[in-house]
Amino acid sequence: MGLNSTTRWKWLLASATLAVVLSGSFSEIPFGFLSGTIIGTLIGTPANAEDGGNLYNTELDVTQGRSYFERQCSRCHGFDATGNDETGAPDLTGRLNRASTDVGIFDILRNGIAGTAMLPVSATLPDTQIWQLVAYINSLSADPANIQLPGNAVAGMELFTGKGDCDSCHMISGKGGRLGSDLSFVGDRRDPEELVSDLITPTKDVEPRWWRLRITGRDGTVREGFRMNESSFSVRIMDTDENLWSYATNQIETYERVTDSTMPSFAQTLTDSEVDDLVAYLFSLRKEI
Amino acid sequence: MRRSTNTVVTHKVVTHKVVTHKVVTHKVLALGFIAVSSLTQLAGNQLMAQEEPFQTVITPAFSPVTWERLVNASDEPDNWLMYSGTLDSQRYSKLNQVNKDNVSELELQWAYQIPVIDRAETVPLVVDGIMFITEAPSNVVAVDARTGGIYWRYDHVLPDDLRICCGRNNRGVAILGETLFMSTLDAHLVALDARTGNLLWNKEVADYKQGYSKTEAPLIVKDLVVTGIAGGEFGIRGFIDAYDPATGDLVWRTYTIPGPGEPGNETWSGDSWKTGGAATWITGSYDPELNLVYWGTGNPGPDWNGDVRLGDNLYSDSVMALDGDTGKLAWHFQFTPHDVHDYDAIQIPILADITYEGSERKVMMWANRNGFYYTLDRETGKFLVGKPYATQTWAEGLDVNGRPIRVPGMEPTYEGILVSPPIVGGTNWYSPGYSQDTGYFYVTAFDGEQEFFKRDEEFEVGARYTGGGGRYTQPMDAFHSSIRAIDPVTADIVWEFPIQPRSSAGITTTAGGLVFTGSADGFFFALDASTGEELWHKSLGARVHAAPMTFAVDDKQYVTVAAGNVVYTFALRE
Repeated sequence: MGLNSTTRWKWLLASATLAVVLSGSFSEIPFGFLSGTIIGTLIGTPANAEDGGNLYNTELDVTQGRSYFERQCSRCHGFDATGNDETGAPDLTGRLNRASTDVGIFDILRNGIAGTAMLPVSATLPDTQIWQLVAYINSLSADPANIQLPGNAVAGMELFTGKGDCDSCHMISGKGGRLGSDLSFVGDRRDPEELVSDLITPTKDVEPRWWRLRITGRDGTVREGFRMNESSFSVRIMDTDENLWSYATNQIETYERVTDSTMPSFAQTLTDSEVDDLVAYLFSLRKEI
Repeated sequence: MRRSTNTVVTHKVVTHKVVTHKVVTHKVLALGFIAVSSLTQLAGNQLMAQEEPFQTVITPAFSPVTWERLVNASDEPDNWLMYSGTLDSQRYSKLNQVNKDNVSELELQWAYQIPVIDRAETVPLVVDGIMFITEAPSNVVAVDARTGGIYWRYDHVLPDDLRICCGRNNRGVAILGETLFMSTLDAHLVALDARTGNLLWNKEVADYKQGYSKTEAPLIVKDLVVTGIAGGEFGIRGFIDAYDPATGDLVWRTYTIPGPGEPGNETWSGDSWKTGGAATWITGSYDPELNLVYWGTGNPGPDWNGDVRLGDNLYSDSVMALDGDTGKLAWHFQFTPHDVHDYDAIQIPILADITYEGSERKVMMWANRNGFYYTLDRETGKFLVGKPYATQTWAEGLDVNGRPIRVPGMEPTYEGILVSPPIVGGTNWYSPGYSQDTGYFYVTAFDGEQEFFKRDEEFEVGARYTGGGGRYTQPMDAFHSSIRAIDPVTADIVWEFPIQPRSSAGITTTAGGLVFTGSADGFFFALDASTGEELWHKSLGARVHAAPMTFAVDDKQYVTVAAGNVVYTFALRE
């Protein structure tokens, strides 16, 4: 079954780099406040710590960072760091919008983001702990550079428009259909395991945007479409002919939600290796940093 | 004192007058540079200056707000004199120019853009045509209530290492005499001259570096400024304070957690009372006849790990009734003993006199964050009736004393356990409302659920001390909220109006038969107070995170609400 491939890529996650191995011992040193110059010299990275990236990312550092996060950050960002609509705090488990490097994350933690509710960490918090927090945030999303997948991305690209017929509903870089999500940068928000799940069990955890609303007008006409927006007083849908409709809820008879997916499962129609190929292709679709 | 000087001036005298001004127009300047040489020759000539009459409408300097005016605030519905409108916090206005028949004709009069971007939680006050709006983080602006034009602004200087739990918010000012009182995020109380915005005094209520902050609008009680404290997520010890409005001197402080030797201290194991939270971060109410101040208290700390604070944890998650002169505790009612879900009793007590089981009773109505609605006797604190008003799974019900009968095994765990209401509660700090016409209590109710986690944490001064947290296991869009009308006699839900998916707006009712409120998806709307039928709605484009208020100037009724970072004011189409 295709599900086998969900675990296959995992062991291929690259193991610790040299810097990671070294930092395991550094984090034991009281204060952990070694200057970048010393560390940089020791491990032969650039002298500037900022250029050296995070030197505190052992499993222990990640655990420490997580513990700090749960205590200090989860009120806004959620206990699982997936963000919170209430507070406006973003999901931190995928690609970050405001930082693309460890130093960028560090700076946000140290300084906050002016003009937003994102406050800096306590001024007395040692840099070490901030780096541990960076390590935890990094651990929430796999570094694509460390992931090697069994599938062939080029073969996957052919499947996307060929046997899989994915492009009849999904768009990539402006080409394809409108009846599914835009996959141009899907590799930034879905990891390989999730992509396999999306292909095999698409009805699980459908995003609210892809729920459907079945709207019955006062004259009995029924119109169904993807749930583009559902507010307290109105709804907006796109039907399968790609027409956009907006209704005031006090002017329709009733409407209901359909929360499963219109996407078929590929468990029977694609082989395991084809699923792997498709996942390799989809995961390669990321924004260039 | 302000009280006596103000009695002479009746506010009704001060209405808007049309005043004719004489304006001196220097026409000679229009002649330009060439004309300068001839200025001396023209001196005394009519060309030099010419009088032209023009007319302007002058908003009067408002008349001072006496304690008598505050007690009788419901009798001057043109003004909105305190956070909850009146001392009983009903948020019921006697204005009826806007009513069920014409509310659909409301249209925008003006919008005021708050310069600092955050969520506006302010409820403005209006005094004789002047509106006082608080802004994030801790600023005030005074505007013409008819146009939004600015008179003055006060920007409070804050340190850059604040300890704040949940956003840079301020919910409003209180007024007594000609002085405004405002809480600030650095846990100060400031007094401002209402005519100029000048700072009169600036008092440190508590040390912000220890996790204290202030966000709520103070409450005037006779000649005292009564005010609470925030910081329940930082291991503080909560209190309710009363200050001298003239000097800022502390008159009394009542801790919400009893100290050693005081009754109730034994409900905290070990030294946990020192860090037990029970903050007081929303405004209370006052009954002048009983001379009792009613104030809700927040969660015990750490929020989600009760192992380190065994016992009922009095007076967390309670309503405390305090003597208005001394702050002495008259009675208390604890909604959630030994809370482990962050079910703050940070709601506004609504006071009303109702017929209950055949006799007139002075009651208090309370829809709690824990998902239950309660009607209490406010003279004694006796529980009368209570039922769930929102989805809840943590209690089987309430016993005859109103104490919850817990469902076993619903405490947060290290692995996480699903419980309703979620942390944000069945409701929260959002002001409920009450209509004197229908006799119903109105609340914003959330039917949600969340996974609760427990963690072990050491207390550190000034650091968060919550012992866990929560996460949603479904997208927010999977949930629903409702505005629910509750009969306080039976605690039954009379009607509900669905909202998709959330609301954190407060509620205001009027003699026009209306319930005004808003939603997280940016709508401001009016419902029929009797039936819940929608009568009008308007998208304001951003979350309504405050309570509406209504007032009148020159016999024209306005309705104001903050949404996003904007304060919008509506009135009927002319």
